[in-house]
Amino acid sequence: MNMKLRKKATGGMALLLVLMSLAGCGGGAKETTTQPTPETKSTAQTDTDKPKEETKDTQGSDPKVTGDFEIQYFVGGYGDSWWKEMLGEFQKKYPDVKIKESAGSQINDQMKPRWIQGNPPDLVYIDGAGSNETQMVKDDQLMDISEWVKQAKNVDGEALTAPLIAPPQDYGGGKNYTIPLVFGSWGTFYDESLFKEKGWDVPKDWDSFLAVSEKIKAAGINPYIHTGKYPYYIVGGLLNSGFVSENGDNPQILKDQEANKEGSFKNDAVAKTLKKVVEMRDKGFFDNASFGITHTDSQMLFLQHKDAMIPNGLWVENEMKKDVPQGFKFGFIPSVMQKPGGKVVAIPYTSNIAIAKKAKNPDAAKAFIEFIFTKKEAVRWAELTGALMNVKADLDSSGASDVVKTAMKYFNDPATIVAPVFKLNADLEQTENDATIALLQKTITPEEWMDRMEKAAAKSR
Amino acid sequence: MNKAARPKPAGLWISKTVVRVLLLLWTLIVLYPVFWTFITSLKNNQQVMLGKPWDFPSVMHFENYANVWSRAHFGSYFMNSILVTAGSTILSLALASTTAYILARYSFKGRGVLYFIYIASMMIPTTLGLIPLFFLLNDMHLSNSLLGLTLVYSVGTIGILPLGIFFLVGFYKTLPKELEEAATIDGSSLSGIFLRIMLPLSSPGMITVGIMNALTVWNEYIMATVLINDPMKYTIPVGIAVMQGEMQYRTEWGPLFAGLSISMIPVIVMYVIYQRQITGGLTAGALKG
Amino acid sequence: MIKLNNKPKAGYAARRRLFIAGFLLPTFILFSIFTIYPLLRGLYLSFFDWSGGSETMNFIGFGNYKDLLDDEVIPGAIKNDYFLVFWKVILIMLFATFFAVSLTRLKLKEYGLYRVIFFFPNIISVSVIGVLWSFIYNPHLGFLNSFLSLFTQKSVDTNWLGDSHLAMWSLLPPSVWAGIGFYMLLIIASILGIPSSLYEAASMDGAGQWKQFTKITLPLIWEQFKTSIIHIVITTLNGSFIIVKLMTDGGPDNHTQVLGYYLYQMGFKQFHLSYGATIGVLILILSIITTLILQRLLRRDTIEM
Repeated sequence: MNMKLRKKATGGMALLLVLMSLAGCGGGAKETTTQPTPETKSTAQTDTDKPKEETKDTQGSDPKVTGDFEIQYFVGGYGDSWWKEMLGEFQKKYPDVKIKESAGSQINDQMKPRWIQGNPPDLVYIDGAGSNETQMVKDDQLMDISEWVKQAKNVDGEALTAPLIAPPQDYGGGKNYTIPLVFGSWGTFYDESLFKEKGWDVPKDWDSFLAVSEKIKAAGINPYIHTGKYPYYIVGGLLNSGFVSENGDNPQILKDQEANKEGSFKNDAVAKTLKKVVEMRDKGFFDNASFGITHTDSQMLFLQHKDAMIPNGLWVENEMKKDVPQGFKFGFIPSVMQKPGGKVVAIPYTSNIAIAKKAKNPDAAKAFIEFIFTKKEAVRWAELTGALMNVKADLDSSGASDVVKTAMKYFNDPATIVAPVFKLNADLEQTENDATIALLQKTITPEEWMDRMEKAAAKSR
Repeated sequence: MNKAARPKPAGLWISKTVVRVLLLLWTLIVLYPVFWTFITSLKNNQQVMLGKPWDFPSVMHFENYANVWSRAHFGSYFMNSILVTAGSTILSLALASTTAYILARYSFKGRGVLYFIYIASMMIPTTLGLIPLFFLLNDMHLSNSLLGLTLVYSVGTIGILPLGIFFLVGFYKTLPKELEEAATIDGSSLSGIFLRIMLPLSSPGMITVGIMNALTVWNEYIMATVLINDPMKYTIPVGIAVMQGEMQYRTEWGPLFAGLSISMIPVIVMYVIYQRQITGGLTAGALKG
Repeated sequence: MIKLNNKPKAGYAARRRLFIAGFLLPTFILFSIFTIYPLLRGLYLSFFDWSGGSETMNFIGFGNYKDLLDDEVIPGAIKNDYFLVFWKVILIMLFATFFAVSLTRLKLKEYGLYRVIFFFPNIISVSVIGVLWSFIYNPHLGFLNSFLSLFTQKSVDTNWLGDSHLAMWSLLPPSVWAGIGFYMLLIIASILGIPSSLYEAASMDGAGQWKQFTKITLPLIWEQFKTSIIHIVITTLNGSFIIVKLMTDGGPDNHTQVLGYYLYQMGFKQFHLSYGATIGVLILILSIITTLILQRLLRRDTIEM
C-alpha cells in the first residue's frame, strides 16, 4: 500500500511539474511574441524574423516615428520579399521604431481573434482567404482616413493619391478606409509558344474563342481549366467581363451587384453571359479535373499543357515561376466574351492596405504608407512580385514580367473598358461561387443561378 | 492451439485462408498510403507531375526534408503537442476519476442530475464553445498559451472529461465492494480508501481512458488553430495545416510530403516501441468497462 | 452504495459530505467554467445578430432560428451528416467486428501484428490524414486513379472530390480508414472477456463459427457494441467538420456540406458568428435526439442463451 501511495505522490508531482512548465510557457509567451522565443532552441531557424540591421545608419531619422509598430500582411502569390525589403528600409530610416511582423498564409485566421478582442495590429494588408475589407469596414475595425489621405504626401514629397491607378475606395459619403496597394487584372492566360507552335489563333472575341477551343479540343488538349475549389477565379476571369460586355459595355452592372441592387443579377446581360458559359460546358471545353482542385493544382496542369487556357489573375506568372517549363511563355487576354469587334473588358482587382481603428501607433502606420507609395517602390514591387502595384510607374525599363507589361498596355488602351474596382460581400461571393460550380456541373440552370443570386442579394439588403 | 473438438478442420482451414487474404489486403490499405507519403516526399515537382504516383523517385530529393525542416518548427510542434497532451490527459484523468468514483459509489441528492449533465455534455459541438472559450481565456490572460489550451482540452467542450467520467463510472461499478468495506473497518479514511484501494484497482480503466483521451488531444485541430497564434506554440495538427496552406501558394509537393513524413516518423517510432502498452492498454480497460 | 452504519463516530456524516464535495467540486467548477459557461454563452449569442468582428451586437430574438428554417443549405447538410453517421456506423462496425472476431476466434499467430497495424491510422493526426487523402484522390497526381487505370483500357480520370455525386462518398473511406482500429480493439477486448468454456461447449454441440458468433459472441459483446455505435454517432456529428474542411470545404456547391463545417463557414468565413452559434445549437439538439433514439433502438436483452 505504501508503495502505491508513493507512486501516487510521484504521479502528482509529475502532474504539478507539467502544469508548472506549461504555466511557464504561457506566462513567458505574452511578452516575447515580438521575437521568436529563444527557449525553443531545437528550431533555431526562423524565417519570419525582423530585419537584422536594426542599428545601422542613423542619419535622416524622423524623430516622430518611434515605438512599437505592428504590421499584418498575408503572404500568398506575391511572396514576402517585397515586404521584407520595405520593412528593412523603413527600419533604416527610422531606427527607433520597433517593427513586429505578423505574416503568413494563414495570418487572417490567426489574427482574427486579436481584431475581435480590440487588440489589432497597426497596419494591415488585406488579402487572401479569410479577409474581406468590406466586412472590416462594416465591423468598424478600420480607421477613417478620408481627411488624412487627401493631404498626405509620400516620402518623395508627391501627393499620396496623385500617382495611384485606382483611387481609395469610397465607402459611401466620401469616406475612405483603405488604399489599394496592389492593382491587377483578371483574364484568360495561355501559352504563347504552344499557340504559335500549333498554329492556333489567340482569341480576340467570343467567336474566335469558340473556334480555337474547338481546334484545341480536336488536338486532344482540354481547352479550359479552372480552379474548382475556389470558383472566384472563373467568376473573375470569365463571368464578370461577360456581364459588362453583354451590358452594352457598361460596367455599372458590377457596381450594382456590389450594392446588392435588385435585378442586378437577373437581367439580360447576366442571362446571355451564362448562356455562353453553358455553351462552353456543353461543348466539353472545361476540363473535368477542374472541380475540387486548388489554384496551384489547376495552374500546374495548365503549365503541363494538359489544358490550354485558364482564368486567373496577373499574379499567376510569379506564383508559378519555379515550375514554368522551358519554352513556356505566358500570354494574357483580359476578356473573351465580347462580340466580334467589341471592346475588350478588363476586370481589375485590388488588394488594400488599411490602418486599424484601434491602432496603437497610427503615426508609424501612416509613415509606412507614405514610405511605400512611391514610384521607386512600385517598380520594386513589379520586379519582386511580377505584379502591379497601384502606382503609375514606368515599368518598361524595369524587370517586370511581360504579362504585367501586356496588361499595362491594355489598361492604357482607350479601346479597353476598365471596369471599376468592386467586391461582393462574403455571402454573395459564396453564393456566386456555389451557383457557378453548380451551373458548370449541370445541377442548376442559368435561370436558377440568377434566382439564387437575387435571393442572396435580397437577403443582404 | 485449441485442439478441443474441431468439427470441420478442412472448412476451418479454408476460412482461415480467406480471412488471412482479407487481413493482408487491409494491411496493404492501411500501410500503403503511409509508404506512398514517404515515396512522394523524395520527389520533385517534375517527378510528381509525371502522373506515375507508383514509381519510386528516379533521383531522391532528400533536400525536401531540409527545406521543410528549416521552415517549419517541428521540434517545437512536438514539444508543444507532448506537453499539452500529457498535461490535459493527466488533469482530466484526475478530475474524472474522483467524480466517477463518487458517482459510482455514493448516493446523494442530485447524483442522477449530475451524471446526466456530464453525459449530455458529450454532445456539445466543439465548435459551439470556440468563440466563448476564446474570450474566456483572454479574460483569464491565458490566450495564446499552452496552459490555456491544456485547460480547454481537459475540461472544455472537446468532451474528454465527460467521456472519462462515463467510462470510469462503469468501471468502478464493476469493482467488488468487499475491499472497501474491509478497509473501512480497518479505519481507513474515505480518501485513503480511494487512493490506496480504488485507484490502483482501476488503473486498467484509467489507462484505457488515458489513451483514448490522449489520442483525441493529440489530433485536435480546431481549438488549437483558434486559441494559439504564435508559430512557436503550434501543436502538430496546426503546424501541418499551416504548412499545407503555405505549400499551396508555392506548389511544393515534395516538401509538403516531407513535412507529413517528419510529423509521422516520431509517432511511428513511439508507437512501435509502445504498441503493446497502447493497444494492450486500450483492451485491458475496455474488458471491464 | 456503501452503508457504513457500523461506524458510530461522531461527525461521520459531516466528513462524508466533505469528502463527496471535495471530490466533486473541483471537477464541477472547472467543468462549469470551461464547458457550461461556453455553452450558455453560445446559446445567448444565438439570439443576437453579430458578425463576430464589431463591438456591438443587436438582439434579434428568434431571428437566427427563423433564418435557420429558411436556409436551403441546412437540409442538405443534415442529410450529409446522417449519411456519414449511417455509413460510418455500418462500415466501421462491420469491418471492426470482422477483424476482431477473425483475430480472436480463429487464433491466428499473427494476431499481435495485425492488431498493431490496424490500429495504426488512429495515431496519425487528422490533418495528416486529410492532406494525404486529398492527394490520393487527386485526379491526375493521386494513386487511386493511377491504380484503377491498371485495370482499364483508358486511363481513369475520375474527379473524386469534385464530382457532385461522388464527393460525399469519397469522404467515407478516409473516415472509415481512420476509425476502424480503435473500435476493433474495443470489440477484441470484450471478446477476450468471454469465457472460452462457452465456445468449447458450443463446439461440442457442433455449432459452426457463424453460429458461435450469433449465439455467443454478439449477445455477449452487445454492450460494447452499443457503446461503440453511440460513440461513432456522437463523434461523427461533432467531428466530421475536420475532414470536410481539409478535403472539400463543403463543395462542390454544398454537396459535402455538413452542419459542423457550415457552422465554421458561417461563423468565421461569412462573418455571421451568431448564426454559427445557432447552427451549433441545432447540432446539439440533433445529437441528443439521435442518441436517445439510438439508446432505445439498441436496447436488447444482453444475453440470449
